[in-house]
Amino acid sequence: MWNLFVSIFINILLWIYNLIGQNFGVAIILFTILIRIITWPLNAQQMKGAKAMQDLQNDKEWQAIQKKYAKDREKLAQEQMRIYREKGINPFGSCLPTLIQFPILIALYQSIIRALAATPLDLLKLSQSINPNFLDVAKLIPLNSKFLWMNLGQPEPYYILAIIVAATTYIQSKLTLPPATNPNDQSAAMGQSMAITMPLMLGWFALTFPSGLAVYFITSNLLGIVQYAAQGKANWSNLLPKSMRKE
Amino acid sequence: MRKKLLLLTTVLLGALLLSACGGAVRGTTWPGLAADETTAYLADLSLVYGVNLKDGSEAWRFSDPNDNKAQFYAPPVITPDGLLIVGSAGGKHTLYALNPRDLITNGDFKNPAIEWTFTGAGAGWVASPLIVENKLFAPNADGTLYVFDLNDGQTQKQPIATVELGGRLWAQPATDGERIYVTSLDHSVYAVDIATYAIVWQADIAAAIPGSPALGPDGKLYVGSLASQLEQFDPQTGNHQSVLDAEYWLWSTPILDGDTLYFGDLKGNFYAYDAASGNLNWSIQPDGAITANAILQNDHLLLATESGNLYAIGKDGKTLWFETVGGKIYTTPVTAGDLILVAPLETDFYLAALDSNGRQVWTFPAKK
Repeated sequence: MWNLFVSIFINILLWIYNLIGQNFGVAIILFTILIRIITWPLNAQQMKGAKAMQDLQNDKEWQAIQKKYAKDREKLAQEQMRIYREKGINPFGSCLPTLIQFPILIALYQSIIRALAATPLDLLKLSQSINPNFLDVAKLIPLNSKFLWMNLGQPEPYYILAIIVAATTYIQSKLTLPPATNPNDQSAAMGQSMAITMPLMLGWFALTFPSGLAVYFITSNLLGIVQYAAQGKANWSNLLPKSMRKE
Repeated sequence: MRKKLLLLTTVLLGALLLSACGGAVRGTTWPGLAADETTAYLADLSLVYGVNLKDGSEAWRFSDPNDNKAQFYAPPVITPDGLLIVGSAGGKHTLYALNPRDLITNGDFKNPAIEWTFTGAGAGWVASPLIVENKLFAPNADGTLYVFDLNDGQTQKQPIATVELGGRLWAQPATDGERIYVTSLDHSVYAVDIATYAIVWQADIAAAIPGSPALGPDGKLYVGSLASQLEQFDPQTGNHQSVLDAEYWLWSTPILDGDTLYFGDLKGNFYAYDAASGNLNWSIQPDGAITANAILQNDHLLLATESGNLYAIGKDGKTLWFETVGGKIYTTPVTAGDLILVAPLETDFYLAALDSNGRQVWTFPAKK
């Protein structure tokens, strides 16, 4: 099943690669756009879910319930589920789309490695992943792994991509964080924490793994920022220092 | 709060999964294998092993203490004076000449002395070099054929010639004594003059060539490619034509017996092609992709498949016996004396020795 998933990725990536004149970097960018378009409804749902959760933290009834059942966790959980039902909130609505990114990420990583075929086993796996009736890949091999200054099958050695990945991830995370109005809002605190850990982690990925993956991260982040901005949900004030923000 | 924890856990799990995908772990690709009368030589990612043929015990192991990213999978070659030439596909891309007769005890292990190294290659060593008299012709993935004098006494080896060919050179060249024939992933076959190192001809066959060329009984050069065709070349001119359409990509190097060439494809078909008549004698489909070359043993052929089986096949295409070695076999087996050596992936041993009837004699490391 997983191999089928990766095979679909590889075939689409190579089809794009062939279509645009054999530039693997541009193929990854276009493929990322395609992924973003396909997952657009999920991302929209994530934003909606995050907003609903944020609104709940400021809801007077919920705050009262939290206070009332502060020492009875079971009852608090029951009340929480009731509130979710009443307000139509899906508790996993904001994190499920993020979870879906990980299989995509791992499949893309494997697709890049197989497509660029640095080792004999990668090339063999590529032969077993493609549909020869769909595309005559034999003529495309070896793929052109050069893109700008990078070899897409190798980590980028100058740290440039890692910095851009970390910066765009940070910006995207901050833009999506709603202003925390409740000082006891744990989800906001967690969001702030994720806004720091995610850029560091993805930056480390960009340092360690083939630069093709970093191209995916950057494209995906930029598209995410554009999506938030286009929907008027980007919280630009979060990028300013606290002292300069309008309260 | 609970779902955020779930998210964080998943993020960390994803990081772990991605991390597990990287690095030179065993199984990144298939090992290289060679043997002489007493020892099997296994190039298996971070280590090269010398294994006693008598009982499968470890004679020595080699890793470069100055290059922890070295990766060995090109099949080693043995020089006439007993040195083992093995190249690294990772790290500093060093080509080593090891001396298995000069072992240095290092804790629990013995390490062979390094006689010489070459560190000037631009990419990894995936192909075995070819020894012709006192010269070593070493194709590199940087597209260059490096030529070394084996008798110049240098410890920091410098090539006596470099021939810029192009593409990635993954396969051991072949020679007819006048020219060296080199295949490349850039779709080309090159003929290089063995004395002057000039490129005599270059021919493009419109598909990558991961396997070695073979000289046929008719004096022609035969090359299988990812175009799924067996290509026949005139070694003098480089003129070529396709003589056989296979079902899928050809990787293994055709082997020669009389007028017949035997080779497999990645769909698992095994072909016997009569070079004299130009006809396909027969084809069979044992099981699993065939990347390993067939080998001749007495009156039959030995063939390893991806499914982990070793087949003894008569020259009429009939299966005489088969043995399940285990794992997946991509490496060409090697015969040494009465033993058949097989180096599978995805098993708990790295090397198995079988007798001439396919019965297992020993494994390395020994099964617990």
